[in-house]
Amino acid sequence: MPFSIAKPSSTRAALRDVRRPRALARRAQRAPVAWRWRRGRIAASFATLLLLSAGARGAALPAVASINLCADQLVLTVAAPEQVLTVSWLSADPEESLLAEQAARYPLNYGSAEELLRFHPDVVIAGAYTNAFTRALLARLGYKVIELEPEDSIADIARNLRLVAAALGREERAEALVAELHTREQRIAAARPEHSPATVVVRPGGFTVGGHSLADELMKLAGVRNVAAEQGLDRWGSLSMETLLASRPELIVLTGYRASQPSLANAVLEHPALRLVGARRTATVPAPYWDCGLPQSLDAAALLQQAAAP
Amino acid sequence: MTAGSQVAAHGTREARGGWRLSGALGVLAIAAAGASLVIGRTSGGPTFGFGGPDLAPIVLTEIRLPRTLLALLVGGTLGLCGAALQGLLRNPLAEPGLLGASSGAAFGAVIVFYFGLAGADSLALPAGAVAGSLVALAALYGLAGRRGDFLTVVLAGIAINAFAAALTSLALNFAPSPYAALEILFWMLGSLADRSLVHVALALPLMVPGWLLVIAAARGLDALTLGEDTAASLGLDPRRTQWLVIGGTALAVGGAVAVTGVVGFVGLVVPHLLRGRVGQHPSRLLLPSFLGGAVLTAVADIAIRLMPPGPELKLGVVTALLGAPFFLHLIVRARPAGGA
Repeated sequence: MPFSIAKPSSTRAALRDVRRPRALARRAQRAPVAWRWRRGRIAASFATLLLLSAGARGAALPAVASINLCADQLVLTVAAPEQVLTVSWLSADPEESLLAEQAARYPLNYGSAEELLRFHPDVVIAGAYTNAFTRALLARLGYKVIELEPEDSIADIARNLRLVAAALGREERAEALVAELHTREQRIAAARPEHSPATVVVRPGGFTVGGHSLADELMKLAGVRNVAAEQGLDRWGSLSMETLLASRPELIVLTGYRASQPSLANAVLEHPALRLVGARRTATVPAPYWDCGLPQSLDAAALLQQAAAP
Repeated sequence: MTAGSQVAAHGTREARGGWRLSGALGVLAIAAAGASLVIGRTSGGPTFGFGGPDLAPIVLTEIRLPRTLLALLVGGTLGLCGAALQGLLRNPLAEPGLLGASSGAAFGAVIVFYFGLAGADSLALPAGAVAGSLVALAALYGLAGRRGDFLTVVLAGIAINAFAAALTSLALNFAPSPYAALEILFWMLGSLADRSLVHVALALPLMVPGWLLVIAAARGLDALTLGEDTAASLGLDPRRTQWLVIGGTALAVGGAVAVTGVVGFVGLVVPHLLRGRVGQHPSRLLLPSFLGGAVLTAVADIAIRLMPPGPELKLGVVTALLGAPFFLHLIVRARPAGGA
């Protein structure tokens, strides 16, 4: 292997350099001759490679690797296409991601530290759900790791858009997106139906959404009553068939998540009581719209509003 | 290990066989460690080498080295403690995982970690794991260990194991962090992915004294094979042996579980595979079991990296796939011939 243990000082230097590839590229750009003299040929040709790839990525903007489904979609929304080095594998799955087509254009990762190193990212965007060991290891190796808290409200969507944008040097893009988000929010709020139907969301596994969640805020925005939240459920929880029947919902919202794949979770949705409950309507709002907080999450509110309209 | 040679009077040929076996296993462990350092895993599946001169130092020292070291140390711990527990309880089915020592440790670590008593890098985490492991083992030994027959010990162990696992799930469900419930899988199935040298430094200070305590019990374990009364008449206090093994196992397994979660079956399989080659003296089984555990765990962790592309399997899944059929085989074979 080209790695030589005999020269500890050059090993350390190489370590330092790899930790900040962009800094290395910049330094090589400034004084290529002196640099080559100091580091030797192999390292110099590596720097040239780095320079080339840096040029291909766009000189000014930091290159980003994303390792979490929600982070991926925010990155794909905010970043310039050439900034993105890799996104996680789930985001290329249309059952999970609203931007599957866009994500499939990039190399996909499974979120391990070793595969990320090979992309030489300037920034790694992770979610709070991302393996804590991986986050700690990447931080230890000197990478800038941005950890996104989940989006529990529309305000959180704006916050995370701005956080990602600040790390990627795309503040203007984020401000435009946030402005659009708020305009759209107001438009949907203005179109709330006169009568707010009692609504229950039935997710696979008999789960539903409670208060203080993005889904609850979207329901409020759309103008439907979230029965589970009114009954005191916080964030999310399970909903027994009996509670569901007792709440006499006028609108049942399904999420249609992986409906074609067998799972115990989806079997709940086939429960005959669901059909007998006599809900006037059902609507389907695909899970990706509210599992991650994105500008497109407002589509969920729009879909709910359509279903609630008389 | 000098204890192995101290009892050599009983059969120098077996003792020599033990050393030869240890030597062979040591070579295998080094080979497995070498392979573990060279084999990596990226989005495209397994890779060989270090991904270029720029990355080599980091990949080698910061990613593969900690992972390899932990595989050897954790595997060695499980093998050693499995052999010692089998000797202490005079029961071929004893093992840290099956008897609840590992689940107890996971519960201790979970309590410390998720209820804000310590961060992931603090020594309090393995300390909690050690305490949990100690409670589980002491409970088992107190309830069923000393005079307990074969079946009682195993059933008590299974009950304590299930109880500790249930407590862990309960604790994770009630933990303030919303992510805790998702991490049940890690604590129950174990993994070495993306550990750093910090975790090696966290586990080692507990593992080493744990090993030493267990090794100190070697002579006592040999004496116990003759029965407690005979052991006492030889001037070896069975209580001392018992607490050395329990304390040592709790320390070492606690340190291991705190950084890798529960990895099952290694401590069961390894001593069994090796017993036939070193004879019935528990002391002679300790070093080979340590090395054999290290080899098995390192190989299992390599197997994970060789899987086709996809999210990484948990280490405990692989060791259970290997170990559970073996466990069944042992149960069937150990069933009394005339029994119902």
